[in-house]
Amino acid sequence: MAMNLRESLKEFWRLNVSKVGLIFLSMLILASIYVVASYPLDFGVRYWNNPSYWADYPKSAPPAWVNLISSEKAPEHYVLTYTKPSNITLTGTERKLSYIFEIDFQADRPPSFISFTILDITYHERPSTVKLSVLRPDMKNIEVYSFIVSGPYLGEEPPYRRYYDQPKRISITGDMLTATALSRFLYREYNVTLRPSEVNSIGQHKILFSIPVRDREFKVLKGQYIFTIDVYTYNPNDEVGEVTLVIGGEVYGVMGTDSLGRDLFIGLLFGFPVALFIGIVTSTITTLLGAGLGIVGGYLGGRVDEVIQRIADFINNIPLLPFLIFLAFILGQNIWILVFLLVVFGWPTLTIIVRSMVLQLKSGQFIEAAISIGAPRWWIMFKHIFPQVAPFIFAQLIFFTPTFILLEAALSFLGLGDPTLPTWGQILEYGFRSGGIYVGLWWWIIPPGILIIWTAITFVLIALGMEPVVNPRLRKIK
Amino acid sequence: MALLEIVGLKLFYKSLRGIVRAVDNISFQLDYGEALGIVGESGCGKTSLANAIMKTLPSNIDKYEGKILIEGVNIVELTEEEVRRKIRWKMISMVFQGAMNVLNPVIRVGLQIAEPLIIHAGMNKDEAYSIAREKMKLVGLHEELFNRYPHELSGGMKQRIVIAMALVMNPKIIILDEPTSALDVSIQAQIMNLLKRLKKELNLSMIFITHDIALASDISDRIAVMYAGQIVEIGLAEQILLSPKHPYTQKLLKATPRLRGEEKPDFIPGTPPDLVNPPSGCRFHPRCPYVMEICREREPLDFELERNWRTKCWLYGGEHG
Amino acid sequence: MDRELIKLEDIKMYFQSRVGLFKTIPIKAVDGVSVSIVKGEALGIVGESGCGKTTLARISLRLLKPTSGRIFFEGKDITDVDEKELKWFRRRAQAVFQDPYSSINPFMTVREILEEPLILHKVGDRTERLELISKALADVKLTPIEEFLGKYPHMLSGGQRQRVGIARALILKPDYIAADEPVSMIDASSRAEILYLLKELQEKYGIAFLYITHDIATAKHFSNRIAVMYLGKIVEIGGSRELVNDTLHPYSHALIEAVPEPDPSNRLRERRVLVGEPPSPANPPRGCRFHPRCPYRFEPCDKDEPELKEVKKGHSVACYLY
Ligand SMILES: Nc1ncnc2c1ncn2[C@@H]1O[C@H](COP(=O)(O)OP(=O)(O)OP(=O)(O)O)[C@@H](O)[C@H]1O
Ligand SMILES: Nc1ncnc2c1ncn2[C@@H]1O[C@H](COP(=O)(O)OP(=O)(O)OP(=O)(O)O)[C@@H](O)[C@H]1O
Ligand code: SF4
Ligand SMILES: [Mg+2]
Ligand SMILES: [Mg+2]
Repeated sequence: MAMNLRESLKEFWRLNVSKVGLIFLSMLILASIYVVASYPLDFGVRYWNNPSYWADYPKSAPPAWVNLISSEKAPEHYVLTYTKPSNITLTGTERKLSYIFEIDFQADRPPSFISFTILDITYHERPSTVKLSVLRPDMKNIEVYSFIVSGPYLGEEPPYRRYYDQPKRISITGDMLTATALSRFLYREYNVTLRPSEVNSIGQHKILFSIPVRDREFKVLKGQYIFTIDVYTYNPNDEVGEVTLVIGGEVYGVMGTDSLGRDLFIGLLFGFPVALFIGIVTSTITTLLGAGLGIVGGYLGGRVDEVIQRIADFINNIPLLPFLIFLAFILGQNIWILVFLLVVFGWPTLTIIVRSMVLQLKSGQFIEAAISIGAPRWWIMFKHIFPQVAPFIFAQLIFFTPTFILLEAALSFLGLGDPTLPTWGQILEYGFRSGGIYVGLWWWIIPPGILIIWTAITFVLIALGMEPVVNPRLRKIK
Repeated sequence: MALLEIVGLKLFYKSLRGIVRAVDNISFQLDYGEALGIVGESGCGKTSLANAIMKTLPSNIDKYEGKILIEGVNIVELTEEEVRRKIRWKMISMVFQGAMNVLNPVIRVGLQIAEPLIIHAGMNKDEAYSIAREKMKLVGLHEELFNRYPHELSGGMKQRIVIAMALVMNPKIIILDEPTSALDVSIQAQIMNLLKRLKKELNLSMIFITHDIALASDISDRIAVMYAGQIVEIGLAEQILLSPKHPYTQKLLKATPRLRGEEKPDFIPGTPPDLVNPPSGCRFHPRCPYVMEICREREPLDFELERNWRTKCWLYGGEHG
Repeated sequence: MDRELIKLEDIKMYFQSRVGLFKTIPIKAVDGVSVSIVKGEALGIVGESGCGKTTLARISLRLLKPTSGRIFFEGKDITDVDEKELKWFRRRAQAVFQDPYSSINPFMTVREILEEPLILHKVGDRTERLELISKALADVKLTPIEEFLGKYPHMLSGGQRQRVGIARALILKPDYIAADEPVSMIDASSRAEILYLLKELQEKYGIAFLYITHDIATAKHFSNRIAVMYLGKIVEIGGSRELVNDTLHPYSHALIEAVPEPDPSNRLRERRVLVGEPPSPANPPRGCRFHPRCPYRFEPCDKDEPELKEVKKGHSVACYLY
């Protein structure tokens, strides 16, 4: 018996699987909306697959929360950025812009490096001076580094703009100036003699974050560090774009990083809309195409049907994965090509099922009744046949979705995904390819796997919940 | 003592909509060699009555009570095991509605006839097969059909097979539930002739269920008219067919189109009653042309018109009405 | 002679039925039938299951193209006309189907079901259409009308559904209606009600009516003429009363003899019945198709097929006895 929409929804909602499925689905959708609203669409090319963007990030770092479960605390990674100074001090025409970074350092090991970057400085008269100093938890202050922005070129007119296309990156670690400053600092405060070259080989960042104990041995100093970057300007129109301090750590963020230093959390998050997009768009197109061809072929019969069936049989008999790999390889790796390929290989199954349902419906008296009142063929297909198979088609749409998400993951995993978009399959693939799995980079391998499975399960749960809604009608047709 | 005596039989089902009162306080008797026709509209409870007598009940039973005495033994009180051992197929058997369409398609029909003999009566194969052949002959089927599959037989032949299956253990009573409604009239007439012969030759008692009162007249010595789970009139075929008393029986007869004679068929206006919420008082009152005040309020009693002829209608209530 | 509205001329319909892998054999569902119906007349077609009644009805509506033979509607040959050019015919010829459960779309309301033909044939605007729908519902006595307009088929009883089916057939004011066993799925006690309704409307609007049934008794009461079919052929045709009271063909005799009437003396005698069952239409017997079962057969019967010939005014039979 036909159910109306209200009854169908009620029937659907009755089952727990449906409820869980819907909750999962709304989580997926919310995450996707968040991503689409807050990330640039060219995120893939501009950031994800741009190694210089991740230069400041630790490589293959586990998530920060592993510190909660390991006995020795690894230093966390900080990337701290200011676009506005924290403080401005005026003395005559001189303006000091201070960028103050406070870091509560509680790790058992020193950071792995320290660097800072300046982006886009503009001056009009005198070049600006940049200074980095650190106030340690023991209240000792160190002038670590300073430099003067390069002066005007011959014939250059103000304003003078510097570092706007490529930021100026200063690595404290490995810097001889800093080594000299630290060498002096050690001698002055602890009476320890270390030549700058020795400081350099121990590591500037290590010495900055510790106190010497015995000969050439250092103990990490925990507590509040205040990094101050002062930019001295000499004209009211001088400007500073962005100042970033990076304290290299061994753990990073919620999800850790991969071997290129990419923040997996961001990549995985970006994977949500991509997975949903591929799943839903592909399955919608596939379902519409498959059902449409099934209805047309089944109802019209004859030559049209013959051709559709032949093609469907042909495609159905091609071993899917090898052929997809081959085609993706030839046609190139682009999400639209991928969707296209998945559709091409997806529709025949549905066409065959829908066709057989239509063949049964076609012999029903209401079709003959429609013909006898003069209904044209398209009318019959649209008004009389489609509504009867619609619930089944809708269920298939939902059922196809995880299939396509998994297929995309599989293709990405084989290195055939769209390189301009991070997908879970690709993250997984890169993890495997760069050997992440062999060296135990679990945070790189497990989450994308779980997300893929979770998304697939979401749709399977919804499909299960729809079963009792759709099936009585199927039985009626059969 | 009658062969079969049914007293106050009730069979109610549980359903989503409520209790379905499919068999509601039915009583009648059946004698040796007698055929009783049970006639009524679709859904009035005919099949349910047959199932109640056979004790082949579905699982959603709400109430099953009353007396079904076969030669004095009350099967309502017997266990399923006892019914299977002593009663079903041996004393009383049934040709189920549509049974010819549910023959096992992959077993030769002869074996399907012999099967109960081997399984229930523990006979050896040869003995069972020879009885099966004999029963096939009895129902007018050639022995060479023994090895055919159901789809190789016509509708009429399949119906004969089903009848042979019911006769295989020589029951005294056979219940036939719409045995010919899927067949063409000429085949139907052949089957009816067969039933008449069996009745005479085997002195078989029959309960013949049909929605077609004309067809019932073809075999029944007595006819019971059912309406909404109850017997509203029961009597000899002559009494029921020639001078029907209950308004429903009268209407039913008038609704039967006559081939001979000019009388135009009539129809019963309104819709058949709902067995979950049957009408108050007399269940026929919403469709009855003679409805009176009392009909709406009180359920009519069984009024005896003559010996063995009674009806449930206030028109015949005399002092009650 | 009255003007023939619909005329079938030597219609043959052979279906190809596959036997085994490569072989097909023709099923001669209808094998040379000529019949016509005049305006306002009701023709009953009776016969046993598989004799080709439904096939004939479908051909008369051009829902099937016959293997050979011609279909004329008001003198126009519509046998091979393209479906697109047939719209005028679709408007004037309608069908009532056997199964009230499967002949109407369960996803449409009564109103939508009845509006569909009007929309397809661009009849009236919305309000005019509603008027016509109300009138059709009143015609088939589905009142109060407002109550039924919004109902879905599953909220209706079998009889009510069949009335919707009849209203759908009537709404375009057709000249011809073919009804294929319109009451066989309806409870016996309500059948006559639907038949009276059909007859009343048929007479009121002067519709030519093809009534297909296996129940010769109702055919007698509800049609002017009866044609008896056996294995794809008409074996006898004549005025209903005359055909029943003065039956000619042995098969018609047997058919009539087999119909029980409520008579207590029935049980005391065996009926005279035909032996065996009708042969398969794939392989009809030669000569008279009925001869293997005929109690009166004589020499010519198994040689050539007897022609349908008029033996009395308006009463024809295909049998060598006449
Ligand atoms: N197992 C069941 N559970 C609930 N209701 C049932 C069951 N079997 C039958 N019914 C209902 O009981 C009523 C009587 O059914 P039954 O099959 O006995 O009627 P019937 O007179 O044999 O009808 P028909 O002529 O159509 O065979 C019907 O309303 C039917 O829907
Ligand atoms: N589309 C078809 N393809 C093949 N054979 C068919 C087709 N339609 C009908 N037949 C066969 O043609 C013969 C006549 O069928 P038809 O349906 O016309 O009979 P009928 O007289 O209407 O029977 P019934 O009383 O059972 O409805 C039957 O043998 C049937 O199996
Ligand atoms: S009891 Fe009343 S309502 Fe019922 S049948 Fe008799 S007269 Fe009609
Ligand atoms: Mg029944
Ligand atoms: Mg038919």
